Amino acid sequence: METILFLAHTEADGGLAKATLEALEAARALGGVLIAGLVGASVEAAANSIAGCGASKILGVAGEAFGESRYSTDAAAAEAIAQAANATVIVAAHTSRWARALPGVAQRLGAAVDTHVAALSADLKATRWYYRQRIEGVIERAARPRVILLDSGCAPAYAGAPGAAAVELVNVEITPALQRTRVIGKQAPKAEQQTIRPDAAILFVAGAGWTKKQKDGQTHVADAGKLILDFIGSANSSLGSSKSLVDLSGEGQAVLPFLSHLNQVGQTGSTPRHPKGLATCCHGEEPHVVGWRFIKERRAVNLDANCGWARGKADVLYVADAFAVIAKVNELLKAKS
Amino acid sequence: MEERPSMEVDIVCVGFGPAMGGFLTTLTPALAEFPEAPQVICYERADGVGFGVSGVVTRARGIRQSFPDLDVSQIPMAATVKQEKVLYLLDPVGASRRSKPVKALDAALRTAGHSDRFAVELPYTPEFLHKTNGLILSIGQFNQWVSEQLMMTGMVQVWPGMPVAEPLIEDDAVTGVRLADQGGMPGMDIRAKLTVVGDGPVGPVGRKIDEVLGTPPGFERNEWAVGSKMVIELPDGVDLEPGFVLHTMGYPEPEIFGFFYVHPDRLASAGIFVPSWFDNPVRTSYRYLQHFIQHPYMEQFVKGGRLRSWGAKSLMESGRRGEPFLCGHGYARIGEGSGSTNVLTGSGVDEAWTTGIQLAEGVIELLREKAPFTRDNLDRAYVTRRRSSWIETEGRAAEHARNGFQKGFIRGLVGMGLAGVTKGNIVVHAEVKPTHERVGTIEDYFSDRIPREEIAKIREQAKADGTPLHDLLMDRSGWPPIEYDGQLLVTHQDALLMGGKVQASGGFEDHVRFLRQELCEDCVTQICVEVCSGEAIAPNKDGGNVPVFDKEKCVHCGACMWNCAHAVDASGRTNIEFAAGGGGLHSAEN
Amino acid sequence: MANSYQVVVCGGIVPDPLQTLEPVAGPAGPALKNEMMLPAVLDPWAGHALYEAAALARKFPGSKVYLVSLAPKAKLQQVMMTIAQRVPLELVALDGPGGGFTDSAETAAALAGAIQGIAGLDRSKLLLFGGWESASRGAGSTMQMVAERLGIVDQFQGVDELQIGEDGSLRILERVEGGQHQVSVCDAPPALLGWATGNLGEPANNAQVGMQNMRTIMPSLQKAKPTQLKSGIAFASVALPKLQRETRIVKDASVDEIAKEIADWAAAE
Ligand SMILES: Cc1cc2nc3c(=O)[nH]c(=O)nc-3n(C[C@H](O)[C@H](O)[C@H](O)COP(=O)(O)OP(=O)(O)OC[C@H]3O[C@@H](n4cnc5c(N)ncnc54)[C@H](O)[C@@H]3O)c2cc1C
Ligand SMILES: Cc1cc2nc3c(=O)[nH]c(=O)nc-3n(C[C@H](O)[C@H](O)[C@H](O)COP(=O)(O)OP(=O)(O)OC[C@H]3O[C@@H](n4cnc5c(N)ncnc54)[C@H](O)[C@@H]3O)c2cc1C
Ligand code: SF4
Ligand code: SF4
Repeated sequence: METILFLAHTEADGGLAKATLEALEAARALGGVLIAGLVGASVEAAANSIAGCGASKILGVAGEAFGESRYSTDAAAAEAIAQAANATVIVAAHTSRWARALPGVAQRLGAAVDTHVAALSADLKATRWYYRQRIEGVIERAARPRVILLDSGCAPAYAGAPGAAAVELVNVEITPALQRTRVIGKQAPKAEQQTIRPDAAILFVAGAGWTKKQKDGQTHVADAGKLILDFIGSANSSLGSSKSLVDLSGEGQAVLPFLSHLNQVGQTGSTPRHPKGLATCCHGEEPHVVGWRFIKERRAVNLDANCGWARGKADVLYVADAFAVIAKVNELLKAKS
Repeated sequence: MEERPSMEVDIVCVGFGPAMGGFLTTLTPALAEFPEAPQVICYERADGVGFGVSGVVTRARGIRQSFPDLDVSQIPMAATVKQEKVLYLLDPVGASRRSKPVKALDAALRTAGHSDRFAVELPYTPEFLHKTNGLILSIGQFNQWVSEQLMMTGMVQVWPGMPVAEPLIEDDAVTGVRLADQGGMPGMDIRAKLTVVGDGPVGPVGRKIDEVLGTPPGFERNEWAVGSKMVIELPDGVDLEPGFVLHTMGYPEPEIFGFFYVHPDRLASAGIFVPSWFDNPVRTSYRYLQHFIQHPYMEQFVKGGRLRSWGAKSLMESGRRGEPFLCGHGYARIGEGSGSTNVLTGSGVDEAWTTGIQLAEGVIELLREKAPFTRDNLDRAYVTRRRSSWIETEGRAAEHARNGFQKGFIRGLVGMGLAGVTKGNIVVHAEVKPTHERVGTIEDYFSDRIPREEIAKIREQAKADGTPLHDLLMDRSGWPPIEYDGQLLVTHQDALLMGGKVQASGGFEDHVRFLRQELCEDCVTQICVEVCSGEAIAPNKDGGNVPVFDKEKCVHCGACMWNCAHAVDASGRTNIEFAAGGGGLHSAEN
Repeated sequence: MANSYQVVVCGGIVPDPLQTLEPVAGPAGPALKNEMMLPAVLDPWAGHALYEAAALARKFPGSKVYLVSLAPKAKLQQVMMTIAQRVPLELVALDGPGGGFTDSAETAAALAGAIQGIAGLDRSKLLLFGGWESASRGAGSTMQMVAERLGIVDQFQGVDELQIGEDGSLRILERVEGGQHQVSVCDAPPALLGWATGNLGEPANNAQVGMQNMRTIMPSLQKAKPTQLKSGIAFASVALPKLQRETRIVKDASVDEIAKEIADWAAAE
């Protein structure tokens, strides 16, 4: 029987993120002996929140230094917990923090590691994407220990009632070598407005067409910017972009100042998860659309009836002028709210 | 701009096509024998050395000479020719424009009984067309393979993504080349004892040399074709043997020749040539190619298949008549740009390769003699070799083989047959006119099918949409609209994105320029827009009539250069300047 | 600021993103159809790492950039002809499988071995760069394992910016959740930076850089160590996703109709 270690780090508020609870649920579904391992500035609150998860024990590494997202301390903590748990399988959420730390921990443990796992079966077959979401592979490994990082949105979140949990603290000595890096804090990109919202219901993608000359032979970049931001404001959506558009913005052109490379969706951009996606003025080329792999319902507005979206990449393509359509949509959405 | 850097090498080479492949493959092994091996460097403008749209069939005489132990399976997509057919295609849709003699021929063939696929197989392939023991190649893959062999020797460098802007000419000598400026950085001057020009049919370096140093008497480059082709993954159930070669004529228009070659791994190349002597001013090769592959005969092979890549390239059909001075002080010309292509046999690769071998043999001879690369020395060591070889005899035989086409398709066929059979002793004589002298107005060409007023409306619509006229006019004159399926039949723009890179490396100036804007302002036929293989030249919808050029879409086929409605001077130079530029590598499978 | 750096960039090659990819069963597990024929490019994020490395090296004279790459030799040679014109570098080539279906741990072992073999490497100047994920395997795990093998515990992933402080410290922006950056400061090298997009464009081709690089690139390719990777991964299946949706194309509807449909759809739960 496998010994499953569910490994989690706390968030700034001491709780656990949704993605983390999803990983917990996935770990629980595996059967076997479940051990939970928590890393954070303090781990009691988090431990209590999963008190009913069925873990045979909860191990913890706690302390100020472990409240930060930092490779050296995260790796040391995870390594110590894994050693203490003597687990055969380690399941964690693919958060930026664990994605950074756990592959190195696997190296230390002599473990195999599978990241960006999109589905995990009870017999430990992991589904993951290759070639930027173009090829789907289902993989197995005989090697143990095995570290598995589960992408967010791929499992239901654990929703058990909180309780009082006992945490077995594991001691990790903080040497100067672990503290060569200081975490200063977080900063939003150099943008006027925070436009990326992972939890939003809709991904609104703006393509380069917004900056192109329109029917009247003129560009209407200011209007475009306003229409886009209005939509983002009124429709609980996250803003994505094609590469062409952010590249334009990058070349010192005063094109849509609120966009940065962080907004880019696609091959060399992100692959966000949202229930819906609306592409506007974007041609729907393959390197862009691979970033839509995890967008369930897809619609597009484009002047070109033969654009990429037309061919099986969207559920609905509206052949129309996005300037006119989005202006009207914004009006309607305002009226609704 | 910063100061222009410069560098010295022994031999600088322009362009990496088959000609340069032959040159460097022959030269490289000999370099080691010199105590100080001469430094040889080659610049190719495309982003990879796999540029060159054509799945080709070639007799490969020169290529086999260079690789006596050639293992064909080592070259991706290469196959040995197994079976050859020549087909006459009838018009299944009734939109093709067929002259009286062509109609008569059609009728005769129909009554004589043709297959139900609207095609008649020629009872035999004329000897001069045979490619027995030849090779089917993807020039892209072949070039890559050759460059790999070369680079791994460490004796030469072949740099892609480096357009050569122009030759450096001092008095009557070429002293090297200047690389194109990029991103505000001045291109480097590469000074060399010998400059080898192999920049193909439309290369700007060869043309500049002709312009400055002159051309031999009788020199003429009025005959061209733009070839457009696809690599297709054959559908399940179609099991054609690799090495199968098909040449077609008669459809989509009588003037348009087609070909179909089968590579290994269920891949095939299908393509057409739209020649300069085709009178239709809205000469879109892409649309015609789509009709070609939908001909019932072709359809049996490709329907249900998948387009893997697409490309276009010019073919200099003047051949031997377009031969420039083959060498001069400090330089030599090889390949299609040196007039080596044989239009009678439809063959340019092996000819180009062989001119490369010949130059290399000459260069090795001169290096051994420690003789400088003067005109006389190069003439003795290179040109003499070429003159006494099959390149010259066959090139001469082909010289006027296709003149007949100037007077119509049937005359052309007869002339070509005669020239082929008599090895060029009998030819149909005709003056070869450049496009701008041949092609009339759109209104005249379509006068029998579309009323003028309607053409005027179509013009308005296209102008407003910023699209060329060809699709609208073809739709209106009976060509069935293309049913895009996203697999084999895709929009022109999607084809640009298939199977290759489209992003041109940034920073280069526009390499297509409209020289005298006032000519474009008044130009009603705008052949440049209609012919453009990449939809890179588009009508101006923002006021004015000078077309707009988008270098991101240009595939460097060079067709715009010889498809302008106006000449700017007596030399016949058109109003389009086709300069050196980067990008345009669409697929290395082509 | 008299410091100089040894920047070791790990970068593989991947098929040009516009290629159509299809998996096939190869002798050593899954592979791409026509893998050797597909035009290849430097892995985009590793490319950003390389350009950042070059910019850093320019800023701190005396610095040096190494590019360590594991790929089939012939493909690597093709890609190098483009890369080598852009950035002065010394290539450390490994001749082996470069595809996405290999195990990152194996790749990491090979890369780390190659890095350890670089003569004169000085840990106090060492910056290990790579892409934060490859465009082939997309795992984002290789670089951490390389760094572990080299004993580097200051690691950063999804890096968009590196600034060197007056005191030689490294100020680093990493991508974290919610479209934000985490700011960290690391005292000094050695450190690993897995780059995301960064801030630099592709440098222009430079003939002189190319000529210089060739002195080391061809010899490195010629003696590239044949590298085998054993894989602990068993693939139960490898397949293309069901790509095609049934697209409904709404063509001649009015703006109002379309807007209403979109607004209703957007507002629906
Ligand atoms: C190595 C590499 C990596 C890449 N990675 C990515 C990536 O990660 N993400 C990405 O997005 N791309 C990527 N690309 C680029 C990709 O190939 C395309 O170039 C890009 O996605 C095109 O962006 P676009 O559709 O916004 O622009 P365009 O192709 O310019 O399309 C603009 C569209 O707007 C439409 N339009 C214009 N005006 C209107 C209007 N008024 N109303 C409605 N529609 C209108 C036009 O019809 C057109 O379809 C990559 C390319 C390469 C080579
Ligand atoms: C559609 C089509 C089908 C064909 N089919 C056949 C066939 O079946 N059999 C056959 O034998 N022949 C065929 N040909 C002809 C054959 O492709 C050419 O004759 C042959 O490629 C000529 O070789 P080359 O080396 O002279 O020139 P090219 O192949 O044209 O090579 C010239 C190279 O120089 C580069 N270059 C140009 N300008 C510059 C510059 N300024 N700086 C740097 N580099 C530059 C170009 O990018 C190119 O790579 C076909 C041609 C076409 C268009
Ligand atoms: S380039 Fe030539 S064909 Fe094109 S618009 Fe100008 S004059 Fe006319
Ligand atoms: S602009 Fe480019 S693609 Fe268009 S015809 Fe000219 S060379 Fe060919």
